[in-house]
Amino acid sequence: MTLGRYTELPHLADANAGIEAVWASVSRGEGTYRVLPDGRCDIILRFTLNAPPNSELMPIVTGPTTGFYDVALEPGSAFVGVRLRPGYFQRILGLEPIRLKSGALVGEAAKNKWPDLAALCAPASDQQELAGRLVQFVRKRDADSDFEVEPLSRNTISALHASGGRLRIAELADMHGLSERTVRRIFLRATGVSPKAFAAIIQFHRALRLLRDHHLSPADAAFEAGFADQSHMTRVFQRMGGFSPARLPEVTLVTISQ
Amino acid sequence: MSVRFGYTILYVPDVVATVSFYETAFGLSRRFVHESNLYAEMETGPTALAFAGETMAEMNGFAVRANRKADLAGGFEIALVCSAPHEAYEKAVSAGAAPVKPPEEKPWGQVVGYVRDLNGCLVELCSAMPA
Repeated sequence: MTLGRYTELPHLADANAGIEAVWASVSRGEGTYRVLPDGRCDIILRFTLNAPPNSELMPIVTGPTTGFYDVALEPGSAFVGVRLRPGYFQRILGLEPIRLKSGALVGEAAKNKWPDLAALCAPASDQQELAGRLVQFVRKRDADSDFEVEPLSRNTISALHASGGRLRIAELADMHGLSERTVRRIFLRATGVSPKAFAAIIQFHRALRLLRDHHLSPADAAFEAGFADQSHMTRVFQRMGGFSPARLPEVTLVTISQ
Repeated sequence: MSVRFGYTILYVPDVVATVSFYETAFGLSRRFVHESNLYAEMETGPTALAFAGETMAEMNGFAVRANRKADLAGGFEIALVCSAPHEAYEKAVSAGAAPVKPPEEKPWGQVVGYVRDLNGCLVELCSAMPA
């Protein structure tokens, strides 16, 4: 399987089991890889791509972030991961995502917490096999879990997503007949970040797509994405991506949609 | 160049539930439901009434205000011309539509009532305009 820097494997996604995306990433050279905040948690296997079978696999479970971070890479650094839908982290891993906010459990720490991750780290013939193992791991834990994802949580998060992060939290609460406090609790439990921070992430991703994929001007993108003005958008881009809307670097924009 | 009105798409949280509701509450029938369960059309003649999952809005790169029962209705309505509007209204309400205004006869002879569907969208149940 030939993979670029970051590739999603859409045929492996399984929304019913909480798998929003299955992805693989291989580093061709030395450098850093910028991870943008996406309000999601991932289960990742890191390995070095050399002659198969792949060995020295390391599990990584990442928590939600609200800012970017850089990962140092060497040639052949490779990753296969599953990105979980909001609300499923606790269902699959039995841990509230807020416990891992802006953090990760890496290697032994992850295996100590979830001993069955060790089985995923046996040598594999290729990344496809690793991706398959991760999917089976999540499906099995989904089937065995008795933690239910509340429909109200799904609906509320879906409405915020559909709005491109533009709904104010008070409106989001009103339109679902909930208090702001309840909405806050729903988001913190499902995603580990506050509704306001989650909205900012969605709005940032959308603005980035409007610029990069729809080729809108910064002024038009700022308007459509719902920023007060272009300089507001610029400040948000600096904070969340570490770059300016006027000079977009080559960044990976993952698929996040409810 | 020519243009015609193609279809109306409502973005909804649950396409399958919405199709079932429109069948049960309003007596429409489905034309098809896509296997992804993210898009469906009702059998409404050449101009289709369609439903798409909210997630499609995001996938297509635009943003919408989601339709919700507890929210103020959006500024549009779906008008369904019924042979018996009073009966249609009762049937819709007993199937779970929220009553808004029972059918009444308008000065121009048309009978018109309003309900809100399972997602909070405004639906007019009316008789055909008198010839």
